[in-house]
Amino acid sequence: MRAMVGRRFWVLLLLPSLLFLVLFFYYPIALILLDGLSWGSLSSVLANPYYRHVILFTIEQAIGSTVLTLLLGLPGAYLFAKYDFPGKRFLKALLTVPFVMPSIMVALGFILLFGRSGFITSLLGRDLGVLYSWKAILLAHAFYNFPVVVRMVSSLWARINPHYEEAAESLGARGFTLFRRVTLPMLYPAIFASSMLTFIFSFLSFAIPLILGGYRYGTIEVAIFTSIMTLLDFRTGAALAVLQMGLSFTFMYLYLKSLDAYSKAEEQRVLQRPRKLTLSDFRGLRGAGIVLYSLIVFLFILAPLLAVFYDSLTSSGHFTLKWYRHLFESSYNPIFGSDSLHAVIWTFVFGFSTVLLATLIALTMSYSSRRWDLPGKIIFDVLATLPLGSSAIIIGLGYIKAFHRPPLLLLGSPFLIIAAHTTIAYPFALRAVSAALKKVRPSLREAAMSLGASDLLAFLKVELPLAFGGIVVGAVFSFAMSVAELGATYMIYQPKYTTVTIAIYRYLGSRQFGPASAMAVVLMLVSMAGFLVIERTGEEVW
Amino acid sequence: MRLRLEGIRLRREGFELNIPELEVGEGEFMTLLGPSGCGKTTTLRIIAGFERAEGRVFFDGEDVTKRPPYERNIGIVFQDYALFPHMTVFDNVAFGLRLRKLSKAEIEREVREVLSLVGLEGLENRYPEQLSGGQQQRVALARALIIRPRLLLLDEPLSNLDAKIRERLRGEVKRVQRELGVTTVYVTHDQEEAMAISDRIAVMKDGRIIQVGRPLELYYRPKDEFVARFLGTGNILLLEAKNGRACLGSLCFDTEGEGKVRVFFRPESVFIMQGEEADVVDYELLPGRMRLFLEVEGQRIVAERFIPELPFSPERVPKKVGVRVGDYLILSP
Ligand SMILES: Nc1ncnc2c1ncn2[C@@H]1O[C@H](COP(=O)(O)OP(=O)(O)OP(=O)(O)O)[C@@H](O)[C@H]1O
Ligand SMILES: [Mg+2]
Repeated sequence: MRAMVGRRFWVLLLLPSLLFLVLFFYYPIALILLDGLSWGSLSSVLANPYYRHVILFTIEQAIGSTVLTLLLGLPGAYLFAKYDFPGKRFLKALLTVPFVMPSIMVALGFILLFGRSGFITSLLGRDLGVLYSWKAILLAHAFYNFPVVVRMVSSLWARINPHYEEAAESLGARGFTLFRRVTLPMLYPAIFASSMLTFIFSFLSFAIPLILGGYRYGTIEVAIFTSIMTLLDFRTGAALAVLQMGLSFTFMYLYLKSLDAYSKAEEQRVLQRPRKLTLSDFRGLRGAGIVLYSLIVFLFILAPLLAVFYDSLTSSGHFTLKWYRHLFESSYNPIFGSDSLHAVIWTFVFGFSTVLLATLIALTMSYSSRRWDLPGKIIFDVLATLPLGSSAIIIGLGYIKAFHRPPLLLLGSPFLIIAAHTTIAYPFALRAVSAALKKVRPSLREAAMSLGASDLLAFLKVELPLAFGGIVVGAVFSFAMSVAELGATYMIYQPKYTTVTIAIYRYLGSRQFGPASAMAVVLMLVSMAGFLVIERTGEEVW
Repeated sequence: MRLRLEGIRLRREGFELNIPELEVGEGEFMTLLGPSGCGKTTTLRIIAGFERAEGRVFFDGEDVTKRPPYERNIGIVFQDYALFPHMTVFDNVAFGLRLRKLSKAEIEREVREVLSLVGLEGLENRYPEQLSGGQQQRVALARALIIRPRLLLLDEPLSNLDAKIRERLRGEVKRVQRELGVTTVYVTHDQEEAMAISDRIAVMKDGRIIQVGRPLELYYRPKDEFVARFLGTGNILLLEAKNGRACLGSLCFDTEGEGKVRVFFRPESVFIMQGEEADVVDYELLPGRMRLFLEVEGQRIVAERFIPELPFSPERVPKKVGVRVGDYLILSP
């Protein structure tokens, strides 16, 4: 009996996590399906030319974003795989920055750069028409995703056995033919997987199209949000949500499949040493390419951040600290119905609670998944992964439906916000933790057990310490996602629990960029701290 | 401790392990030998309790089938050593004792003792990645031995090392095992290694144990062609037996049965003399020995002799020689 409990202890650990998942994900989603999955509501949405346009635009901009991301990422992948150059480490660290930057801050940065009196606009002397159009959306999506392309493709590129290329060369392939016929096909798994990821990110994107897209360019996610928050049309919202989920689950499935192919290809262990470039190499075309690319990356990633930082210190062209002073005033601010100090406090409360819950869920789930010895593991894995394919707005809509009346009257409670953030964040923590655990050889656990460690003890003493880096990365991601969360929080919060992100959104609505920037700098500092923690773990996240 | 397996069966896709019975005696060194994929590791994991299978496992007559690995008190050395990379040599070796809640001083003493037993003093504070393959192997052995296991399981512990170190270490494994008198099951696919260190060997093929016996018994008295071939070069002649005798030219063998028989003998059982019975097809010079490839009546025979035993000089190998076969065996059909 003791042995039975010992061996199946994971079931006990898993139960609370499963309960959470059912209550805060599957139940709300079921309510949406119940409402939206009917012929009547689906066909009335599809018959409406506006929504048809929205769906089409969502897919078009996702494709466009993917193409732009690839264009920006592939040269970097080449440089990173093939060469070692001064400043590579710094560039690599810089590419991690977008992972932790809240989209509201990036959107604000874009407004400050491309707006009518923006930095770039005044530098060029004319408005490029980037803002409030598809162009800004594509650029912001590329900002977030091109580091993924650089990471995945370069990692595979560095693993291509040089003998293949040499063999092809000896057979007469050269230059572009060599690349197209031999190298490129071997990169397909990485290109496909990173493209799918970019596509899904752009497909489910909310804050960026909401703020940067203006009236004419909204995604399905934005359309659901408006139909519920401004039109109070739950039927249409639910129908759109069903359509979006159907598509995103399909894309997610394709992504996970492509990720499998990618991991398999990445397992090959022939790591080519990148060629070391010295300063004298920099005189040629190659050097110019590296300098140019580094410069573009540098500007692209840092420009929005610098713009926000600069703007937080100026008022109509003059240096000022008043926006920061406002930050520490605990006076009621009618724009967001709370005060800035409390916004900062709540942001941290939600952030840390999310880290705690998401990490616990990720740990129990990955532990159970590793120890699973009953039928139905696939079903469990699917159930645990599905939330990855839902979206913040769908969670928000589901929560409004599920928790607006007793006995589950949770709407407006801070606990519900934590639940929402956890549901959104834990799949990422789970992926980070399981990826780290997967690297721990199974023989280590067995060695511990042969020496007398029970199953759980072997996990705690051997597997967990070795996966610690992955857990930290997962925790930082969870924190970053909670802090940056806008859509779901906005749908279920009360002004009392305004977060920094929501405050910035409200400021943007009333076009007060100064205080918005000062608040965004707070977010930036928090994100930077997360970034530094990730750098310290030495874990490869990008 | 005596180990006993009874009615072990385990089915996987395209593979079935079936061991009706296997017994390893007190203090015995038993080796599981067989080609890749034949189920050696699986058998070891069933003994350790990592793999569930039909049948029963007994330690000293006590049924431990249902016991989890951590209650079996076994020492295992894995093929990849499985040293904990986040712990020093000392912590790795002390791991099992710490779980048993021994006092600090006791742990310290025991670790020193076992490290000196495997010849590894002074490396306590290194991490596994700072050790050579051979040193890692010793740490793994020390870590398994320190808990005074009732049973020691070793899964190809030497296969990741180069040939020279492998030979030296296998001698040490044997010495340590003998010193402690711990019952041991050892897995390898290297027949020479198996012969060198085992008390008994179980030859496996496709999930079954074909034959169990002492090394020389298996070598000279293999039960079938598979065992004969697996344990080294062998000659197998397919002959027709009449009146209790089967002949190849003037080479005759006593048989019991009639009709088709297979006669087996080792190259070193073939004696070379002057004569005309066999054609010398080819030969190889080995250190101190010569291997001759002969043909008698169209059948190939391999012979191996020390050079001084040859009736001719190795510089001038004749076209034809005479042969006699000393020790031979009629294989069961
Ligand atoms: N985890 C597993 N899942 C499914 N099949 C497995 C697993 N491990 C081993 N097998 C299969 O079981 C059979 C026996 O494997 P086992 O590892 O016991 O062989 P082995 O004799 O130890 O081989 P080797 O000398 O290569 O280590 C093989 O056909 C193998 O492919
Ligand atoms: Mg094996």
